[in-house]
Amino acid sequence: MTDRSDVVGTVAGPGDDPNEFVFVTPSDKSIKTGEFITYTVSVEGEPRSVFARVTNRELIRGLPEGFLADPEVGPETVAATLGVPTDDTELYRLTATVIGYYDTNMTTFANPRQLPDPGTPLSIAPHQQLETVLPNLGCETDSTDVTTLDGVAHIGWLLNRPAEATNLHIPIEEFASTHLAILASTGSGKSYTASVLIEEMMRPSSRASLLVFDPHGEYDTLAEMQGEEAFQGADGYEPSIEYYDPERLRVRISELEIGDVMAILDNPSNRMQERLSTAWRAMQRQESRTWGIDELIAEMERIYGDDDASVGALEWRLRRSIERNDLFHPEENVPLDEIVDPGQCTVLQMDTLDQWDQQLITTVLLRRMYRERLDDVRDRDSDIEHPIFALFEEGHRFAPASGEAPSLGIMRTITSEGRKFGFGLGIISQRPSKIDQDVLSQCGTQISMQIKNPNDQDAIKNSVEAAGEDVLRELPGLTPGQAVVSGDAMNTPALIQVRQRRTPHGAGSRPVIEEWREAYDERQREPTQSESADFAEGDSTGVQSLD
Amino acid sequence: MHRSTTRRQYGDEAMTDTLADGDSPDLDSCVRIGSIVSSNSHLDYVAEVYKERDCDRPPELHEREFGQPVFIKKTVDGTEHAVMGVIYDTQLVDPDQGRTGPRLAQDDQAQFTPGYIEERTTLAGVALLGTAEIAEDGTIQEPTHQMPRWTLEVEDTVFHCPDQVTVSFHTVDDQIQLAYMDRLLDIAGDLGSEVIVALIDRLRGMLPEDDPNQRVLDVVEQNVQWQAREQRGMV
Repeated sequence: MTDRSDVVGTVAGPGDDPNEFVFVTPSDKSIKTGEFITYTVSVEGEPRSVFARVTNRELIRGLPEGFLADPEVGPETVAATLGVPTDDTELYRLTATVIGYYDTNMTTFANPRQLPDPGTPLSIAPHQQLETVLPNLGCETDSTDVTTLDGVAHIGWLLNRPAEATNLHIPIEEFASTHLAILASTGSGKSYTASVLIEEMMRPSSRASLLVFDPHGEYDTLAEMQGEEAFQGADGYEPSIEYYDPERLRVRISELEIGDVMAILDNPSNRMQERLSTAWRAMQRQESRTWGIDELIAEMERIYGDDDASVGALEWRLRRSIERNDLFHPEENVPLDEIVDPGQCTVLQMDTLDQWDQQLITTVLLRRMYRERLDDVRDRDSDIEHPIFALFEEGHRFAPASGEAPSLGIMRTITSEGRKFGFGLGIISQRPSKIDQDVLSQCGTQISMQIKNPNDQDAIKNSVEAAGEDVLRELPGLTPGQAVVSGDAMNTPALIQVRQRRTPHGAGSRPVIEEWREAYDERQREPTQSESADFAEGDSTGVQSLD
Repeated sequence: MHRSTTRRQYGDEAMTDTLADGDSPDLDSCVRIGSIVSSNSHLDYVAEVYKERDCDRPPELHEREFGQPVFIKKTVDGTEHAVMGVIYDTQLVDPDQGRTGPRLAQDDQAQFTPGYIEERTTLAGVALLGTAEIAEDGTIQEPTHQMPRWTLEVEDTVFHCPDQVTVSFHTVDDQIQLAYMDRLLDIAGDLGSEVIVALIDRLRGMLPEDDPNQRVLDVVEQNVQWQAREQRGMV
């Protein structure tokens, strides 16, 4: 029996679409677009709460627009003059789309294939019920206290509801295994949202093994999780946050594949490519994994003779591209058992590396980790005996839609196969259109924030299956901190306000004005230097090379 | 410009014709316009305008013009009430018109129409707007724009309503009201918007220039006129 006091509106009849219905509310029951409402239908003899999402709201009865002719005269004054009652005059017609009732066997929504009858009373869906049925939590009833569940990430609350009223807890397992995409334009809170997720994943109930590829150094405040009470477990657990600065990032030369080397080398000729691949394969067949450029060249000279011109040219190229780059080392390597561990979040700070090096180190690390996961699943010896989740800030750098990146291949492999091997990826990007479509479309869970660029909106539309029209329509209008969560982790997309971080936020814009003023003051304090006069000797050299 | 001229026009009229002493209008000494002769509905009456022989002081042309507020006195339950109305239409009646047969007019007597000459008359349509109580001092109080429940009688006298009374009838809680407007539009039919515009003009002329109600009246007038133009296919 429905209590009429909860009723906010009454069904008027079917809408345009098969799953749409129209209902009418008076003005005092203000229902926002995107609100979840519920009504009861009988499914196989049992009463079920069917959920529906409000998609449109229009005024059907109100004061005529002619009453608004003079901005200084309120319409209610005009109405009072004419004796038109102004209380409860407005009537709204709202359109809602049926989501379905929560099928406790299937633990997801089932469409009743039946629109509510005209006159059916509608109520606002209760908080706890929504908390249970919106995310893909697999609850066995349609109203569970989701805060008691393990392995859930409290990411925020429903945007249409008051702050912290309807909290959304998404299942970490779901997005960590079927991959995650956080898509948002600059300044709308991508890395903030990612940090919220990292915090949730590092809590005692989850103890994730996380790896963050951070090209900008935006995640340096995560360390404050250590020592925070909220992150400490009853058994003495505390998350460990490790930072890897560029000096500690090394790629062992033998870990490179011939394709990687070709890409690093500066335009090698066919003859050189042939020489190099033969020698490289020979080196890789060797027992030792700690050879360097010297050994490689010795091998080439052994095969082709020491006066081969191509070998000479290759030697010069190899030494310039690999030996002089600190990233590559014959022996040193990033030890996998140090960077991945349950309850550990490793941030690979790559802010001083150039993009090419960032891609290379990522490629090599991903390849090694994927191999280890493969070994683990196939019961072979492995350094990584637990699932891992890697998060990529500026994801379009590692899996670009156009242009070459050595990491693209392994990223594609992991997003399509990683689920079976417990290797999840999280792609964070402000340019969805610049991410490889294969990679993006494999990200099962999406957190989309404000995106205005039409190309980027198209990219989401084309590659994100769960992004319906109603999700896309919301994207341009979101403000920072608001997001649409959709995909595998959700039973239906929801509009949320991302919760506050527990650790301070590190990214964000620099205080430009302040820094200018400081720099100016600094300059004023310096003793003035007299500049030597330029007597215009010689010709201008034009733009000078900075090399 | 427009507003100030109308204001002067009605102001002068009020001074000279209805209010000899200026401020407190006496409802007993108002000009009699005519008497009720028939009705079309509960709110829609027909009055015959008084001529020279019907009373001492028949109304002047401008005192029975289109849009002129009027009132009819009714005593209900011991209390004297004024049933307020407005002239929304007029009609000329000449029983002789269209009569066939020889005319008696001759060269030396241009017009010889015995008996019928006095039968020519002017009828005025009066739409009822609301009611008010008549106080001891001859002013009105507790005006209401609800539909009057009482019927008028044949031969009830229709009085010219002084401007002060018109304003007090239209003022409820310091706010100008024309809550009868929908009924009036319905009764007045084709001339509905004109009668309302005439009433609004009259009210505007009587209110101070800087009265906030002026702007409200502007908006109402615009609305009425626009709707009328829309109905008549102008816009």
